[in-house]
Formats: sequence, C-alpha cells, structure tokens
Amino acid sequence: MRVISIKISGTLLIASAILMLPLSTAVAEDQTVNRMIASQCAQCHGTNGYARGSYPDLGGDEAKDLADHLYDMKGEDRPSDIMDHQALGYTDDQIRRIAQYYSTLPENGGD
Amino acid sequence: MPLTRRSFIQMVPASAAALALTSGAKAAEPIHHVTVLGGGFAGCTVAKYLRMWSNGEIAVTLIEPNSNHVSCIMSNLILNKRLKTTDLTFEYNDLQVKYGVEVVHDRALRIRGPQKQLRLKNAGWVNYDSLVVATGIQFDKIPGLVPSKVPHAWIAGGQTNNLRNKIIRMPDTGTFVMTIPKAPYRCPPGPYERACIVADILGRRSGYLDGTGNVAPRVIVLDANPGIMAEKGTFTSAFNDLYGDIIEYIPDAQVESVDSDNLIVNTSQGSFAGDVLNVIPNHGAQNILKVSGLTGDSRWADVDPVTYASTNTLFQDVYVIGDTQGTSQPKSGHMANAQAKICADSIIRTAHGLSSYTEERLQNITTNSACFSPITYDEASWLTAVYSYNPDTGSMGLVPGSLGEAHNWSSRNFNDMFTWSDNLFADTFK
Repeated sequence: MRVISIKISGTLLIASAILMLPLSTAVAEDQTVNRMIASQCAQCHGTNGYARGSYPDLGGDEAKDLADHLYDMKGEDRPSDIMDHQALGYTDDQIRRIAQYYSTLPENGGD
Repeated sequence: MPLTRRSFIQMVPASAAALALTSGAKAAEPIHHVTVLGGGFAGCTVAKYLRMWSNGEIAVTLIEPNSNHVSCIMSNLILNKRLKTTDLTFEYNDLQVKYGVEVVHDRALRIRGPQKQLRLKNAGWVNYDSLVVATGIQFDKIPGLVPSKVPHAWIAGGQTNNLRNKIIRMPDTGTFVMTIPKAPYRCPPGPYERACIVADILGRRSGYLDGTGNVAPRVIVLDANPGIMAEKGTFTSAFNDLYGDIIEYIPDAQVESVDSDNLIVNTSQGSFAGDVLNVIPNHGAQNILKVSGLTGDSRWADVDPVTYASTNTLFQDVYVIGDTQGTSQPKSGHMANAQAKICADSIIRTAHGLSSYTEERLQNITTNSACFSPITYDEASWLTAVYSYNPDTGSMGLVPGSLGEAHNWSSRNFNDMFTWSDNLFADTFK
C-alpha cells in the first residue's frame, strides 16, 4: 500500500494516511529467522528445547522469563559459566527473538 | 532435468531420467529434493532439520557408505575405557523412521557441477536438485606412515580401538609419542585432551601419580603449531603442573616421515621413538571435492556462510558444511550441527522462492561451539564461543566476550560433559 502524503502550507501531513493503514500491513517479524537463531541452543537444550538430563528445557518457557534469565547471564561482571559466555554472544534483540520463539513451543518439545 | 525423489531413491541412472519421470509416484511430489553426502554430525543434522522445518515438503536422500556413525566426540574416553565404541555408535533408523530421510549406503566418487550430477560407486551417475556435501576430512599422505601400525584415531571407530589396544599393551613407564596437525584441523582441543588422557592412564598404571611408583612414563607431544591452539590456560596448567613430569610439549614440530616398523617419527624438531606412536596427519577436504574441482586450489571448500553454498560458480546449488567447509569457524561436531541449521533454513527458503539475504536474516546468522575436555579420569574442562555473520566482511567472526574456557577442571564438568554430548547426539541423530 502506498502512503499518500498531502502537502499543505509547506507541512508534510502523512500521519492521517499512516493511521488509515490496516494493522495487517505492519511488518511482521520473520519467525523462521527466530527459529534459526533459537535452533542454535538445541545442541545442548535439545531439539525444540526439550533437553535430556539436567540441562533446562526451553520449550514452553515464558518469553520474558527466559529473556530476563539470559540478560542476567549476559550482565555477569565475571562470566564464569558456559552460559555466561554464550549469552554474551547474542545481541539483546537476538535474545528476545530466541525467548519469543521458545515461548511458542510446547513444553514437551512436541515429540 | 532433475529426477523425482522416487526415481532417485530407486537409483535410476542419469541417462534414464526421462523414463523415470514417467513412473507413477504414489506420494505427493515434494517441492524440492536434497541429496546429502555424509552421515556424520553435519550431514545428519541438515537431513533432519530439512525434513522437520519443511514439514516434509522437501525430500532428502542421505548417502553414506557406512551402516552407522561412530562419534569422534567423546572418543578419547574409549582410550581409558570410560566408554565403549557401542556407546558412541549411531544408527540412521531415527532419521529414516521419525523424519522420513531416505538413507542410501553408497560411496560418492565424483560431482559434475555444471551437469548437477553425482557419481556413486554402486548406482553410477545420478542427478541432484541440491547437493549438501558433508564428507568430513581426509588425511595427507606421510612417507612411511602405516595407519594400522601407527594409528591416528582421529576418525573414530576401528582406529580408536587400535590405539586403545596399543596403549594397553605398552609398558607402564614407557613412552607415548603423538603428533598434532597443522591448524585448521578437526577438534582444536582434542589432541591436547588426548595427551592428558594418556598421561593419566600411564600415570595411574605406573603408580607415578599416586606416589607408589618412582619412574614417570613419558608422553611426548609434537605440535605442528607454534603453541597450544585451544583452552590454553587449561592445557598449559595440565601439561606444566598436573602432568609436568610426564608430558613433554614440543611446538613447531612438522612431521616429515614415519618409520612405522620401528615406531619413530621424524620431525623438524628431531626424531622421536616411542613404544606407541600416534600420528595425526594434517588434513583437508575429502578427495571427491578435489577431483571434482570443487575446492579449486584450497584445502577446504570456500562457502558463503549466509547459505553455505559453494562460492565455486561451476557448482550451483551445492552446499558444503561441517569440517569440509573453509570458513574460520572451528572444526567440530557441535559447530557442524550449528552450520547445518543455517544451511537447512537457506535451502528451504530457496525452495519456496524466498531470499536468504533479507536484512533481518543477515543480522541474525549465528553459530556456536561448546565442548568439554576430560583432563583426568573423572574431571573435565570446557570451552565455548559464539560466532556471528558480519555483512561488511561477508564472514563469520567471533563475538567479543563469548570465548571462554573453564577456570579449572572439575568432576561437575565431567558430569556435565555427558549431558552435553547426550543432547548433541540426540539433536543430530535422533
């Protein structure tokens, strides 16, 4: 959809045109990109975030909880665990995407 | 014209492609067919994720000469009998049954890029739509080297058992000589880990480590590189302190030749004789890539890490992942698994007519590596790193701060090592 601008008295009025845009035209986040980033956790946390053994499951986690946990690890003054270093490898936006993706998966990993 | 999935599975020769296309396939035709060469960490992961993420829309045929895969990861623990070969052996049943991957046991001999054809030892020439090459490594020839007498044990399986048996039979206070290949090589911490495992085996057996024996066994480590290539803090400490009387570390030692009968290795730093000799030759991409012209003048296959497509323009729709590809990322099973997912995502996009080069995707291409190294019989260390794509350089780079190694080796790390490997094996083969 084209955004139509109307120039009146030297002022660019586009606000009303934007407001008329239906919601569906908002640029949606590419969920396959989020899936691709999140899959990099699966080597240790299992396919679709369903881990074996003592490592935490990620599938079905609340997005905010998982993201906050990763932000905390990223913020460690003295990174000492594998996950402290792993968290430092991702931007805040990537962490948000990873957490958002796992929140959409079932807790049992979907197997 | 590419063969249909059904006709490919039946291994119809390329010359009979037109006939094969007329045969009635019962199942719905897939939108794309991917042939994967190699059933290791890279090949199995890409096969599994292509099927899973495409919801079965993409047909996958995996070609692997062996009936199962023995993991190199954890295989140093076969040397000290913490594990058996069967613990690290993975069948292809789950890929076939759970994910619908077609597994064909055959050996690929040559790729014709312009014709998009592949020559198999048994089936002859067949066509492919897209080809993922995940064939691992091949060792350089070394004059005099006979692998049955001087095992590398760097492709796990019979070679690992061979080395274990030689260690079992050697004198308790004897000399073990090993060589480390020139980087880049498979599993950067692996050789140093092996030196520690062998020092522990001999140190315990001789009684030297617990003070009941007076004569120290010797482990001579001849490194082709100028220094320790991974977990430098951990291995420097282990070599100098824990095993200081046992391990002798010699950098810049290039292997020149081997006397396999008298167990002598001749290097740029002199000749060394041992009761057991473990020479891990330098390595590069498998011969099929070289004879097909895929690697050009390089030892490894150059790829674009956005897709893992070969940069060789004669090889359209050919992807290379795992140890065979030539980016600067470390060569490891964990990393091979990581790359396979980026590649699978890209192939699925292409099959749907979508670009892999959207701004959103380019900013989010990451891979990571994590691994544990046993240092003693029941303690381990770890190493981890994250890599991300840099659009300015077109390459993968280490993310600052993400590189880390364990502050010390511990029994907790040793236990975590089994959880890590169990999950990695499952994400790859199950």
